[in-house]
Amino acid sequence: MTSTILEFRNVSFSYGPRLLLDRMSLSIETQEMVALVGPNGVGKTTMLKLVAGLLPPASGEILLQGKPLTAWPRRHLPRTVALVPQELEIPFNFHVEEIVAQGRVPHLPLFGGHTPADHRAVESAMEAVDVVGLRHRPYSELSGGERQRVKIAIGLAQQPKLMLLDEPTQHLDVGRQIELIALLRRLNQRGLTIVAAIHDLNLVAENFASIIMLTPAPEWIAGPAAEVLRPELLQRAFSVSQSALGRYCVSPDSDGITQVR
Amino acid sequence: MEAELRAPEKQSATVERPLHLALGPPTVLAATGGQARLDKRISARKLNLLLLVSLAMAIVVATALGAVRLPISEVLRAFLHPLRAGEAGEIIFQLRLPRVLAAALVGAALSATGVLFQGLFRNPLADPFVLGTSGGAALGGAFGIFLIPSLSFAGFGATAVLAFCGSVLTMVLVWYLARASGRFAMETLLLAGFAIGTMLNAATVVFEMREEASNSGLRVLAAWLHGQLGIPTWSQVALLAPLVIIALVLGLPVAGRLNTLALGEEYAAQLGVSVVRVRVATVVLGSLLTAAAVSLGGLIGFVGLLVPHFLRILIGPNHVRLLLPAALGGATFLILADTFARTAFAPTEIPVGVFTAFLGGPAFLYLLNHRSRESRQ
Repeated sequence: MTSTILEFRNVSFSYGPRLLLDRMSLSIETQEMVALVGPNGVGKTTMLKLVAGLLPPASGEILLQGKPLTAWPRRHLPRTVALVPQELEIPFNFHVEEIVAQGRVPHLPLFGGHTPADHRAVESAMEAVDVVGLRHRPYSELSGGERQRVKIAIGLAQQPKLMLLDEPTQHLDVGRQIELIALLRRLNQRGLTIVAAIHDLNLVAENFASIIMLTPAPEWIAGPAAEVLRPELLQRAFSVSQSALGRYCVSPDSDGITQVR
Repeated sequence: MEAELRAPEKQSATVERPLHLALGPPTVLAATGGQARLDKRISARKLNLLLLVSLAMAIVVATALGAVRLPISEVLRAFLHPLRAGEAGEIIFQLRLPRVLAAALVGAALSATGVLFQGLFRNPLADPFVLGTSGGAALGGAFGIFLIPSLSFAGFGATAVLAFCGSVLTMVLVWYLARASGRFAMETLLLAGFAIGTMLNAATVVFEMREEASNSGLRVLAAWLHGQLGIPTWSQVALLAPLVIIALVLGLPVAGRLNTLALGEEYAAQLGVSVVRVRVATVVLGSLLTAAAVSLGGLIGFVGLLVPHFLRILIGPNHVRLLLPAALGGATFLILADTFARTAFAPTEIPVGVFTAFLGGPAFLYLLNHRSRESRQ
């Protein structure tokens, strides 16, 4: 039995005169693993921020577990949705454990410390992403891959139902990229719904069943991977010439060459 | 063919990475310790106990030292039996102890403000003196002394309220100047402090020309500019001590939110923290503490930078754990600094602000260099 965890109903959003999302309607089922693709500046981050309640849509409605976002108390939202941001810079030498513990903030009373349940949640979040050994290391001294896992641990400490990830594989070498996607798959199998903005279309094709593709038009295409990753659609999204799309798709932002199959 | 062209570039990119990234899983490295710098910390409870004992000792020793050196035993006896202290009691309770307590209050207030502002700006250089809030408070206070002179001799009153307003206004000004695209530009933070300081100096000159008769007002302002602790009346101490303590207690829940703010304002908002409320609370509490400190000792710089920085090395950056040690450590530090400033070159007293500037200036420059190196990487 599946249930819809997230639904967009005619959601539009614009930055000033620039329309980023145009009457977008789609729904995501519980325990789906969805990739969000499209060229840079097309509104992937914006879409994730809308779901996390950081930006209000210009029009339309976003429903989380069947309830409009506007009806969710601000403090309850992060107990259901966790957004793992693209960049996280931490001043001072906060330890990994202290950083992950911030994921418990939505669960804490206004005046009060961490309960044993909070500590358990932080522990299991660190175990899930394998950063227990890093707990007393300052976050600022971690490598890119380690930082990425710590960021996911913050999200897991929130004990969400839906996790949004903004370019989790960026700045990672191939090995760390594969590890990270494997981690996301494990979390997904444990019941977490995942929406991740990802650039590498190879990783997407191999690991994500569903895809949402945003194009600069703006338009959007959502569906199973095989239906979305078609040359004519990729061409529209990434604005490359037909000739370049024999076997490859060149994404304009990364300048990288990606085999799509 | 295109792929071949890209090959050399890719290679150089992988070579630049640290070796352990390209080899086995990072966890293996972490488990064996690897090249990880061990970041050892001591318990906050132990540190608080240690600082409390140091503070008590500093109060006794500082009370004993001065133009007339009193034996420690006599000071302790006077503390225990204030009414039977006799001649020494006069020195202790009229001259020394108010001054020592003033130093303690100013040190605690400035150091705690440093912790709060550093958390707010996510920047270890954010000291009330560097940011210009001390200057703003002094400027506000100066308006009180010179423009509403009838109230200026009450010690507090219009002066203190205007000092608080000056501090808040400076923070609001610095906030809007320094904020660009959600981050704080360090140059602007520092330059705002510089500008406020210059305005304060200019205002002093104007006040000097205008008010030749009112010497006492000018003396107060001169003392403020140099960071000279005076000898407060007991009623001033009785008023400011509870104020500082209340601000510290209220600061604790705010400090907890500042820990979340370390993740950035947007992340804190995502986690359900009301960033605006935290910001306002931090500015109000920090300004209260700054105004209290300035009204007792004027512009005493770098205490809020030195003490929290040193304590962060010992117990880590958690703002909740840091606030009380910062207050205790700041109090002890300024008592010792002021004792040195008034006894080292006796019979001449140097303002304690001059002394802290000699200590804090180089530390500030070191941190500034350290940070800009980091951001260049």
